Amino acid sequence: MTLDPITFEVIRNALVAATDEMVLALRRSAYSTNIKTRSDFSCAFFDAELRSVAQGFAQPVHLGSMVEQVPKAVLEYGPENLGPGDMIVTNEPFPGGVHLNDISLIAPVHAGGRLLGYVTNLAHHVDVGGGAPASIGAFREVYQEGVIIPPVKVVEAGRLVPDVFRLLLAQIRSKHETAGDLRAQVAANNTGVRRLQALVERHGLETVAQAMEELLDYTERRTRAELAKLPSGTFEADGTVDNDGYTEDPVYLRVRVTIGPEGVRFDTVGSDPQRRAPVNSTYAQTYSACAYAVKCLVDPDLPVNDGFYRLVRLDAPLGSVTNCTAPSPVVGGWETQTRLNDIIFKALSDAMPDRVPAGTKAMMCHAGFGGVDPETGEYYCFLETFAGGYGGRIGSDGPDAVQTHGQNTENAPVEETERGYPVRVECLELVEDSDGPGRFRGGLGLRKDYRFDRPTTFSILADRDRSGPWGLFGGLPGRKAEYVLNPDREGRRLGSKTTLEIGAGDVVSYRTCGGGGYGPPHERDPERVLRDVIERKVSAVRAREEYGVAIVDGRVDEAGTARLRE
Amino acid sequence: MSFRLGVDIGGTFTDATLVDEETGAVRIAKVASTPSDPSAGFMEATRRILSEAGVEGGALRYVVHATTVATNSIIEGKVARAGFVTTEGFRDLLEIARQVRPTLYDVHFEKPRPLVPRNLCFGVRERLEPDGAVRVALEEGSVREVATRLRDERVESVAVCLLHAYVDGEHERRVGEIIREVCPEVLVSLSSQVAPEFREYLRASTTVINAGIQPVVARYLESIEARLHEAGVDAELLVMQSSGGVFSSAAARSRPVFMVESGPAAGVIAAASLGEALGLADLISFDMGGTTAKVGLIQDGSAKVTKEYQVGAAARAGIGGLALSGYPVRTPVIDLVEIGAGGGSIAWIDSGGLLRVGPQSAGADPGPVCYSRGGEEPTVTDANLVLGRLNPSYFLGGEIELDAGAARAAIEERCAVPLGLSVVQAAHGIVEIANAAMVNALHLISVQRGYDPRGFVLVAFGGAGPAQANALAREAGMPTVLVPTSPGIFSATGLLSTDLKRDYTAAMLRRVDALEPAEAEAAFARMEAEGRDALAREGLAAEEVSFVRQIEMRYVGQSYELTVPADDLDAAVGGFHAAHDRAYGFSAEQEPVEVVNLRLTAVGRIAKPQLARLEPGKPPAERARRPVYFAESGDFLDCPVYDRYALGAGAELAGPAIVEEFDSTIVVHPGYRARIDDYGNLFIHA
Repeated sequence: MTLDPITFEVIRNALVAATDEMVLALRRSAYSTNIKTRSDFSCAFFDAELRSVAQGFAQPVHLGSMVEQVPKAVLEYGPENLGPGDMIVTNEPFPGGVHLNDISLIAPVHAGGRLLGYVTNLAHHVDVGGGAPASIGAFREVYQEGVIIPPVKVVEAGRLVPDVFRLLLAQIRSKHETAGDLRAQVAANNTGVRRLQALVERHGLETVAQAMEELLDYTERRTRAELAKLPSGTFEADGTVDNDGYTEDPVYLRVRVTIGPEGVRFDTVGSDPQRRAPVNSTYAQTYSACAYAVKCLVDPDLPVNDGFYRLVRLDAPLGSVTNCTAPSPVVGGWETQTRLNDIIFKALSDAMPDRVPAGTKAMMCHAGFGGVDPETGEYYCFLETFAGGYGGRIGSDGPDAVQTHGQNTENAPVEETERGYPVRVECLELVEDSDGPGRFRGGLGLRKDYRFDRPTTFSILADRDRSGPWGLFGGLPGRKAEYVLNPDREGRRLGSKTTLEIGAGDVVSYRTCGGGGYGPPHERDPERVLRDVIERKVSAVRAREEYGVAIVDGRVDEAGTARLRE
Repeated sequence: MSFRLGVDIGGTFTDATLVDEETGAVRIAKVASTPSDPSAGFMEATRRILSEAGVEGGALRYVVHATTVATNSIIEGKVARAGFVTTEGFRDLLEIARQVRPTLYDVHFEKPRPLVPRNLCFGVRERLEPDGAVRVALEEGSVREVATRLRDERVESVAVCLLHAYVDGEHERRVGEIIREVCPEVLVSLSSQVAPEFREYLRASTTVINAGIQPVVARYLESIEARLHEAGVDAELLVMQSSGGVFSSAAARSRPVFMVESGPAAGVIAAASLGEALGLADLISFDMGGTTAKVGLIQDGSAKVTKEYQVGAAARAGIGGLALSGYPVRTPVIDLVEIGAGGGSIAWIDSGGLLRVGPQSAGADPGPVCYSRGGEEPTVTDANLVLGRLNPSYFLGGEIELDAGAARAAIEERCAVPLGLSVVQAAHGIVEIANAAMVNALHLISVQRGYDPRGFVLVAFGGAGPAQANALAREAGMPTVLVPTSPGIFSATGLLSTDLKRDYTAAMLRRVDALEPAEAEAAFARMEAEGRDALAREGLAAEEVSFVRQIEMRYVGQSYELTVPADDLDAAVGGFHAAHDRAYGFSAEQEPVEVVNLRLTAVGRIAKPQLARLEPGKPPAERARRPVYFAESGDFLDCPVYDRYALGAGAELAGPAIVEEFDSTIVVHPGYRARIDDYGNLFIHA
C-alpha cells in the first residue's frame, strides 16, 4: 500500500529540511576558513539499507563521495556495532573513498526503537598530516599524503572517544582548527539526528520509513522522465590532464556516455593506467563527475538520492587513473575528475549544443602553505582554491573568475587571510586578454599573489599550464594558467603540481586560465567586443587580431571591422 | 488632534495608514502603485486618506515611509553612475566577488553584474597592515589622478573601500577629501563610515550599494518632500530602515544602504509593537499574503536582525541559506524567513506524479480560479474555498463573488483525478502541503536559531494568515495564536509604531582577554555620542534616547559571529557560550573567544499610538452555519460562522468556528477556543 500523496510530500520536505539544517549548523560553527567561509563540505541522510535518501550539498563534487563511502564504511565497521549516540569517522580512499582531506562522520539515527538510517557529513579539512602542510603535496604513495582513518568510533553514546580523538589530532598540523571542525561535524550530525527523530515522533516510524522508500521510487520516476527528453545514443570524447607532477607525460582521459532507456552509462575505458603521482581519481571521485554531469542535464528541482543514482552507472577500469587502487596517491584526483566533467560536456556538445559550455577552468587549482608561527609556536596551515574562466555558452559569454563544475568554493577574503596567517596578498585581479575568443567568449582567469615575510612550505596542486580550456564550434581556447615565483624578480615558472620552500620576501603568483570560446570569434557582436575593450577585459589589439573588430576613438569602426572580417 | 501617516509602497499597491494619536483609531487607503514615478502613488494615497478622514495636512505630526525604491534600483540596474576606489591591485574586487556560481547545476548561470563597471574601478597606492599600521603611505598623487579620471567620467557618486580600513579610516578619509576637492559635486561613500567591518568584499559591496543608490534615493526623497509641502504637509518625513527603526530623510540620504529592505520589516515591527502593548514579549510573526509567507521572531520585545543578507538574491537562493546570488549588504536587516507559499500559490503535479504547492503564484491577476478572472490553475485559496473555510459571498467584504464550482472543477481536473483522490482530499492536501512548508519556515526561524517555538505566541496576519494559523500553531506546539484586528492591513500599522534608530559598528578584532574594558567603553561612548547627536538633530531630547550595546563574538578561528548583549563584558563571554550552545548544540568553554565588532543601537523612543478599546458586547451570535472540512474529524462539520465586527470585548467561542471579517477569515479548529480581548484582538488557545 502506498502513502497518501499529502503525507508523502510533507515528509519529503522535512527530510530535505533536515539535511539543509545540518549544512547550516556545520557551516556556522566550523573553524577553518575552508569549511566556514568556503563551504567545502556536504551532508546526507541514508536509510537503514544504506541507500541515499536526502542530501544537502554545498559542493557538488561530493555527489559521488558519500554515496560510495558511507555504505562501505558502515558495512566495514558493522552496523550492529553502532548504538544510539555513536559516530564513526573515516577518510579511507580505498575502497569507496576520496582524498584524505575529506573526513566523513557517520551517525546512526535510532527512532521509534529501531534504526531509521544514518546521517553523515563530509568536510574538507585544511590539514590531515602527510608530507606537506595543508596535505596537498605531490607524492608517490597515499601513505605520504596524510593520516588514513579506517572507520573507527569517535563518538560513543554521545561522548567523544578521547583516545581516538587524541591519536587523530597527533597526526595533524592544524590541531586547533581540526579539533574545532570535528566538533562542528559532530554538532551537524546531532542536528540531523534530532530533526529526524522529531519527524518519526510526529508521523510514526512506519510512515516515515515508507515515505523514504517511496521517495526513492518517485525520484527514479522523475529522473527517467527527464532523461527521456534527452537525445539517446552514445557520445564520446577525450582529453588530458597536462602532466602528473613527476613526469611531463599528459594523463590521457577518455569518456563514453550512453543515454538510453536504462539511464545514463559512462565508461572510461581507454583512460591511462594509474600513476605513481597525485593525479589518480578513485571510483567515487570519477562517479561524482558523472553524477554532476547528469544533474546538469535534468530539472534542477530533481532531488538526488538512490532513485537518481540507480540511473547513473559508471564502468571505470580498475587500476586506471579513473579508478585507482592502493597505494596510489589520490590527493590530486579532483584535478582529474573535474577535467572528466569538461570531457563529458565535450562528448555531449554535438548532440546537445544548447546544454553544455565550451572548455572551462576544470581544475581545482589549490594553493596550500604552512609553517610554525614563531610567535605562538603553533603550526598554521592555509588552503585555498582559485576560480578561472567559464566556457562560452550557446547564447552567453562564459562568466569571468568563477568556480566550475563540482567545485563552488568561495575565495578566502584577503583581510581574513592576512589576519589569520603570516602572508600578505599583493593583488587580486582579472587576467586581461585571457579569454578564449568566440562568438560568446570564455571568461577571464584571475591573478592572486601571495608574499611571505618568513620561510614557508608552499604547495601548488593545479593544472592547465600546458594547454588552456578548449573552444567549441570554432571558438578558441582560453589562455593557459601560469604559476610564477617572484614575478618582479627572476620570474621563475613553477610546475602545476609541486611543493617548494619559500624564503622571506618571496612572492608566489597564480594566474588562472581563461575559459574556451563558443562559436567563431569573427561572429561576435562588435558591440560586445567594444564593451570588453572599454572595460579593459580585452585589449584593442586583441579585439582586432582575434575578433576582427576595429575600434577607433572608443567606437566600432564598421568599415574597418568588415575588412578585418572578410 | 494630531495624526501620524504611514505610506508603504509595494509592487502592486500603495497603502496609506492614518492613526489618530489620541484614540488609536486607524484608517487605511489603498491605491495602485505607480512604478514609473512612485511619488505619484504616494501623493494619491496621501490625498485620499486625508480627505476621507477629513484631516488637514497641518494636523500630521509625522509621515513614515517604507519604500522599495532602493532595492528596485539595484534589481533593475538603475543605480547612479558610480565609481569605485580601492587599494592598488584590488580593483577587481567587485568583478571577482566571491568567485562562485549562484546556482550549482545550471551551466547557463550568470554572476550578478557589478554595480560599478570595470572601467570605473580604480586603485590608489597605499596599504595598511591588518593591525592598521601603514605599510605603504597614501600616495596622494595617485589619488588625484584617479579623482581626475572620475571627474572626466562624470560619475555622480564614488565608493571608497581600502584594505583594512575597518581598523583605521584615515587613508579613506583623505581619499574622500581629495575626491571632493577635485570633483566637489560628487557624493562620496567611505567604507569606514558606511560599514566598518572586516572582509573586504562584503564591506565594498555594502559601500558600493550605498554609493549607487544615494543619488537615486536623494532625488526620490526630495521629490516627495516637495510634493508633501505643496499639499500643505510640513510634518517631518521619516523613512523605515531594514532594521525596523526609522530615520530622518536627511539620514536616509546619507546612509541609504540602511533602507534597502524598508518594506518587509513593517509586519514584524507591527507584531512587536502590539506585543509590547499587550505585555507579550516573545512572539513569532506570521504574515501570509498572496504570493509568499514571511515569518520573523521577536524575543524579549525586540525583533531579531541579521547582517547576512543579499539584495536582489533569487527567491530560492542556495541550499540551506547559503545564498550566493545577489549583492551582499552588511547592515542590520530584520531576520525573516520567506517562502513561496501564499493564498495564490499554485498547486501542480510534478513529473514524478507528486502534488506540489508553489512557488509559482497566480498573484492578484489572474488570481485564483475562484476569482473568475481567467485563472485556470488551482491555488491555496481555491482549496480553502472548497473546504468551506471561505465564504464565497463575503470575500473582501463581498467585493469579489467567489466561484466555488470553478475552484472545485479545477482541483478535480488538475489534482484529484491525476492522483486518484477525491476533490476534498486533494483540496485538503493542498492546504496541508502549504502548511508543512510554513512549519519548516517556522522551524528555521526558531529551532534552527536556538529558540523553542513552544514559548512563543504566533501573531497571524496578512490576508491568508489567519486561516492557517491555528493548524500551524498546533503543528509547531505553540499554545497561543493572536490575530490582530484588520489582519489584512496590520503590517502597514507597523510604520506607525516604530522608533527612531541608528545603528553603529566598531570593528575590534581581538581576543576577549586582550580587550581592555576602557577601550571598549571608549568605543561605545564614541558611538553613543554619535547616536545622541544624530537623534538630537532629529529633535529628540537626551532623555528620550536609549542605547543597546551588543558585541559580536566567536571562538578564535571561527568566522561566523554571534551577537550577545554587552552591558557587562564579563557576562558577555558567558552569554556567548550559552548562545553558541543554543544555536549549534555545543559550546567550548575552554576555547579562547574573540571579539569581532562592537555594535551600538541608539533608540529614540517615539510614543506609541493608543490601542483603540473595544466595548464589551452581547454573547456571540452565529451569523450562519456552513459545512467546513476539518482533517482531524475526517469530515465536514456543521460549523458556526461569526461576524468579527459583532464580537465584543470578552466574547468567547468554541471551535470548530469560522470568524469572518472584511479582509480575512479566521479558522478555529475543534478542541480550541477563541477569545476577544479588550482591544478586539482574537486569541486562540487549546
